[in-house]
Amino acid sequence: MVTILEARNLNKSYTTLPDKPHSILKDIHLQLQKGEFVSIMGPSGSGKSTLLYTISGMDQASSGSVYFSGREISAFPEQALAQLRLTKMGFIFQHIHLLKNLNILDNIVLSAYMAKSSSREAVNRRALTLMQKMGIEELAHHNITEASGGQLQRVAICRALINNPEVLFGDEPTGALNSRSTNEIMDILADINAAGTTILLVTHDVKVAARSERVLFMMDGELVADRPIGNYVKDKDNLKVRESLLSKWLVDMGF
Amino acid sequence: MLARMMKNDFLRKKAMTVTLFIFILLSSLLVSSGTKMIMDLTGSIHNLFTASKIPHFVQMHAGELNREQINNWAKGNEWVENHQVVEMINIDGSNLYLGAESEKNSIMDIGFVVQNQDFDFLLNLNSEVIQVRDGQVAVPVYYMQQNDLKIGDKIRIKDGGFSKELTISDFVRDAQMNPSIIHSKRFVVSESEFRSLKQNTGEAEYLIEFRLTDLGALSAFSNQYQASDLPKKGPMVDYSLFRMLNALTDGVVAAVIILVSLILNVIAILCIRFTMLATIEEDYREISVMKAIGISPKDIRKLYLSKYVMMAALASGAGYIGSFAVSRFFMSNMVLYMGTAPNSLLPSAVALLSVGIIFAVVVFFCIHVLRRFNKISAVEALRSGSLGDTKISRNRFSLFNNRWFSVPVFLGLKDVIGRFKMFRLLLFVFIVSSFIIIVPLNFLNTIQAPSFISYMGVGQSDIRIDLRHSDDVEDRFKQLVDHVKADADVTRFSPLVTSQFKVLNHEGTLDNLSVETGDFTIFPLDYTEGTAPRKGNELALSYKNSQEMDKRTGDSVILIVDGKEKRMKISGVYQDVTNGGKTAKAVLPYNKEAVLWYVVSLNVKAGTVITDKISAYEQAFYPAKVTDLQGYLHQTLGGTINQLKLVTILALVIALSVSILITFLFLKMLVAKDNSQIAILRSVGFALSGIRIQYVTISLIVLGAGLILGTLLSNTAGQLLIGGIMSFLGASNITFIIDPVQAYILSPVLLAVTVILTTLASIQSIKASSISKTIAE
Repeated sequence: MVTILEARNLNKSYTTLPDKPHSILKDIHLQLQKGEFVSIMGPSGSGKSTLLYTISGMDQASSGSVYFSGREISAFPEQALAQLRLTKMGFIFQHIHLLKNLNILDNIVLSAYMAKSSSREAVNRRALTLMQKMGIEELAHHNITEASGGQLQRVAICRALINNPEVLFGDEPTGALNSRSTNEIMDILADINAAGTTILLVTHDVKVAARSERVLFMMDGELVADRPIGNYVKDKDNLKVRESLLSKWLVDMGF
Repeated sequence: MLARMMKNDFLRKKAMTVTLFIFILLSSLLVSSGTKMIMDLTGSIHNLFTASKIPHFVQMHAGELNREQINNWAKGNEWVENHQVVEMINIDGSNLYLGAESEKNSIMDIGFVVQNQDFDFLLNLNSEVIQVRDGQVAVPVYYMQQNDLKIGDKIRIKDGGFSKELTISDFVRDAQMNPSIIHSKRFVVSESEFRSLKQNTGEAEYLIEFRLTDLGALSAFSNQYQASDLPKKGPMVDYSLFRMLNALTDGVVAAVIILVSLILNVIAILCIRFTMLATIEEDYREISVMKAIGISPKDIRKLYLSKYVMMAALASGAGYIGSFAVSRFFMSNMVLYMGTAPNSLLPSAVALLSVGIIFAVVVFFCIHVLRRFNKISAVEALRSGSLGDTKISRNRFSLFNNRWFSVPVFLGLKDVIGRFKMFRLLLFVFIVSSFIIIVPLNFLNTIQAPSFISYMGVGQSDIRIDLRHSDDVEDRFKQLVDHVKADADVTRFSPLVTSQFKVLNHEGTLDNLSVETGDFTIFPLDYTEGTAPRKGNELALSYKNSQEMDKRTGDSVILIVDGKEKRMKISGVYQDVTNGGKTAKAVLPYNKEAVLWYVVSLNVKAGTVITDKISAYEQAFYPAKVTDLQGYLHQTLGGTINQLKLVTILALVIALSVSILITFLFLKMLVAKDNSQIAILRSVGFALSGIRIQYVTISLIVLGAGLILGTLLSNTAGQLLIGGIMSFLGASNITFIIDPVQAYILSPVLLAVTVILTTLASIQSIKASSISKTIAE
């Protein structure tokens, strides 16, 4: 087992009123092994998203450190962090966040062109293969206003995967989708994970979390529980059971 | 509620609101000042003309004069109300010392007179008729300004053994010769000082002046005078010319002020459009919610409009009030030269009206922009969130197909193409900026180029010798020609004599025409149409004369030569900005009765030191003016060139300031608007440097387009504009002589560097914005 992402003594607070810092993250310890699929759950305002953005280097912690493949990235300058996000990390968001003035294919190839790790031709081929896999290849040259929410989230996943990231971060990736699209997207994510990409998701949805192999539970900025639930891919037929077990556990946790 | 919304809005967009306020304020301040200036100018001129009892018709005359003949003629003329002959002693500039230095290099003709008895009074700075005692002198305000003179200072006249010192007791407002563009100035001395000057120095010249009973009869009277055998060795001027010349300097300033005000107003309007659309865009959810809960578009519009109406009202009001302080500064020159007009409410009222127009334009424009509220459907706004103007237009320009540009550059390019409409404000400002930098620059370069001589009705020669009228000028001219002929260093020379001939006008009466006679093939000149006169019956006209006489090449005019009518064919038209632009050229023997000046142009052998030659001729034929062509150009245009240099620098400063200001505001707004897109880019791993490159690319593309259009406009419309101005002076066909380094390299680079630095400074905020916050929202 190789640790790919680690947080030690991670604290984050906002100062909204003078001398009254509001703690969002309280002394978080967390390790993510390479190839894991982990979900973070918890009530609104518990600090799930903040944790996600802080350990992905998009946000600065107030104290503590974050290690990526053994290197402390919490001390990285902005330029190095950008490079890390570009080449080693992928992101998907609830509101999808594609660039409005680029067409769908351009949104996907953008970060690969930027990274310059392979030729534009190679990037283009990879983009088209990814789109085929997601079933959206016919949308390549369309504007993003011409696709549905589910289709756009697949576009966002293609964008996140274009540079072969080591870790894929998701902030409520299915939060704005209907249940059919949610199932489809989650199947795709499960496949991606099966192919070796580490995934860390923030979600409210038991159906989403049931596809991961480990669920973290947060409350008031603290990581209060860490529960392995077994690999989903090997356990596909028992999805309903996994969901109900997880629900029960969450009720026990007071969620 | 409204007040609170406005306050919040102001706090949210401090920089833009303040800038808009300043633009509207400046625009109304300038339009108000300009209007007031024009109104006051009219009043002041009227006042000055009344107080000084300005003559309506003046004939200058250098030579013998029979007062009896003039008196008799005037008595017999039905329109003459009053007349007088003013004697003036013209003193060479090198003999007059207004400080330590003599006025040797002055282009002014300096005349000494006594105060007049009946009319054409010379006034002091309180607009009272000047009285001077012996030992005193009243000096024109022009010199007070130029030489920084004060009452009590001494001036000195020195001519050979003769020397006289006079104390300045007053400064002269001279309705006839006030403006600096008139190259004659009158000093006032007492009777006895005048007699002493007359005996010892200078040349006498006469001003034969008339006041008429009816100003409407001016041109008829002028024709009668021209037709008479009264003295007229010299130029003729009349009331309308005095008015025009007095109004010109300050009138042009007022016109420029109003023009600048209009440009500022256009920029203000574009800024308003930009801010309003951006605000509406930001608030689209609120707007659609308001619509959804049933608030009528009219009321929503009122909400947005009231802010801008209030701001425009405050800014215009402040501008109007400010103009009272500022216009004093703009009008100081006018007040100095012409005095103040009696207080009247009219100028202030008209200025208020002009400010009202500026205000109305702004408000009307706001209403126009807000009309698009009608088009927002609640559902559409909630769904798409775009309002037409910044809508992404679909185009085939895609990153996927692109091979040449780096990603940030591509994104910048794509942004400009996709949202072109939004960038119109910036584009307009860049076009205007490059235009106001390049046009004065090109004009300055043109007027400084040696080839500008072709606009002055003069052929190219090494040296030019000018002899002005004096009693023995005829002999001196002969000596000069003989001397030049005998000079072994001279390779070619051409004596040219300008004298006045009578020409038959449309009405069948006679006009004066200054005709230069001689051989024009020796030092040829460029003709805008036709050729130089070669035969005795050919005449070339300056552009202005050709316009005024309505004669083109091939037409003919009747000239009176030796008392007989002679039909002259127009052989060609040339450009000439000297002598009011009205000259002509012919191969006739000159009119000995009415010679104005003599010129000898000459070329010297290669290897001759021209400056030595010039000083040799200067010494031998003093007080002849001997110059090389550059010197001639400089003497004639030196003042204009210096002023133009100032204008060029001023234009540069204004253009750069406006570019900086608008670029700064525009980009601040742009990155605020693009906040979420920037956050997305950063989240997928774009470094700040990449985003900076993207925005610099945007600025540079818009600047590039602005520069290209601005330069094209400068070289077409700008040239026409300058041509239009210059054709008043006699040059119809100005072609810019462009210094490519200055116009096409230095100016664009300067603007580009300014814009790049401004862009980088104005997008500093991207560093501070939190990606996660923006993304999570």
